[in-house]
Amino acid sequence: MRHFLLAISLLAATSFYAQPARADEGEAETCLRSKIWEGYSTGWAVRTSTKATLTAGAHKVYLVTLYAGNEYKLLACGDANVSNADLVLYDHAGKQVAADTSNDREPTISFTPQSTDTYYIAAHASRLNGDAQTGALATAVTYK
Amino acid sequence: MSMSSVASAKLSLIVALTALSLQACSGEAPAPEAKPAEAPSTEKAAPAAEISIADLQASAQNVTLAPSPAEMQKAMEKAGIADGLSKLVADRPMKMDVANKDVIAVRTGVVLADCLLTVKDAPKEKLVARLEQVKTGLLALGAGNDIQVTITELSAQITNDAISRDDLVKQLDELHGAIIPEIRFEAGERAVPLIQAGSWLEGSNLVSSAIVTANKPDAGTQLLRQADVVDYFLKYVKTEGADKAADSVILQLEGTLNKLKEIAAKPTLTLDDVKDVKAQTDSVLALL
Repeated sequence: MRHFLLAISLLAATSFYAQPARADEGEAETCLRSKIWEGYSTGWAVRTSTKATLTAGAHKVYLVTLYAGNEYKLLACGDANVSNADLVLYDHAGKQVAADTSNDREPTISFTPQSTDTYYIAAHASRLNGDAQTGALATAVTYK
Repeated sequence: MSMSSVASAKLSLIVALTALSLQACSGEAPAPEAKPAEAPSTEKAAPAAEISIADLQASAQNVTLAPSPAEMQKAMEKAGIADGLSKLVADRPMKMDVANKDVIAVRTGVVLADCLLTVKDAPKEKLVARLEQVKTGLLALGAGNDIQVTITELSAQITNDAISRDDLVKQLDELHGAIIPEIRFEAGERAVPLIQAGSWLEGSNLVSSAIVTANKPDAGTQLLRQADVVDYFLKYVKTEGADKAADSVILQLEGTLNKLKEIAAKPTLTLDDVKDVKAQTDSVLALL
């Protein structure tokens, strides 16, 4: 009985302290910014960057106009709560045209459109770490 | 229950209550321990769930939709029509002390585009003057102090030759693509799309001018058909049903965007279509 009560009380105490880590958009943004700035040394420039806080398995969709002839690199960075982030590019009709296949929190897609058109970028927080309830994901469109 | 059991039960209760009260008094959860970043895995992940076209359309956000003026410039270079582009950028001193914030936003976008398109070779006095106009416009729109400080510092660095033009390109790209979109929290939802509309309008005017000069209408088909972008701007510019008197600039802008939408719907553009884009965008820019 004594051990049982002690175990219950310790469990209660630790559960109050084991709060899930909060999503950190600043961390995701800092990671993305460093990737963007690295890109300038090889001719890449940034069009837009944006960020979002997502639950596990959730995604954000961004509409994007891509110019024929330009090369595009779509970048994303998850914060420490995100263990796997994914990027998927869809054409105007909703057909998937590119997707990253890595199993990490810094996905990248390279794409060179054949015609100027509108596309959809889906940024997924595919998996979060252990007890995290949300993760931050910063996404950028870069070109050269 | 023995005395010792009762004592240990009391002790357990005290531990639990102490934990509870500490939690309540701190007001917020203690900072989580820093988690080490997971090493990137080479293992292939299961593909992200496919999204239907209906869901894509319903949930898409427009923050990344409009291309930047510098990106247009890059596409023009690829199409072989960017020679001497920065010389086509006119001096447009813009009045930012007007009552209509929509007009201020469009004007700010135009000047911002001019900064981006001439950053590599404009004289520093001209560049600083344009940046100051952008700052005045953003201030009038209600942007916060941080952005003002950023632009003031950039202007000082340019004046003192303390920044290379390559580094300035990065800074202005960041200003345009990451910092200004955040002013929606201070300046309201309309400000950012209308700044983007001003930048896009100036870019489209320069693209159409360059295509007409180079007599390359094929490049018009590649670069100027952006119906979704026009639709996005029209949502914010529409004056029909608006609760305030329409400004002549905004009325002209709405008319121009409607015409550009018609042109963008064509499968291929002729030289006359491109001339029409130039004339339409000229007419708005002349009013600014």
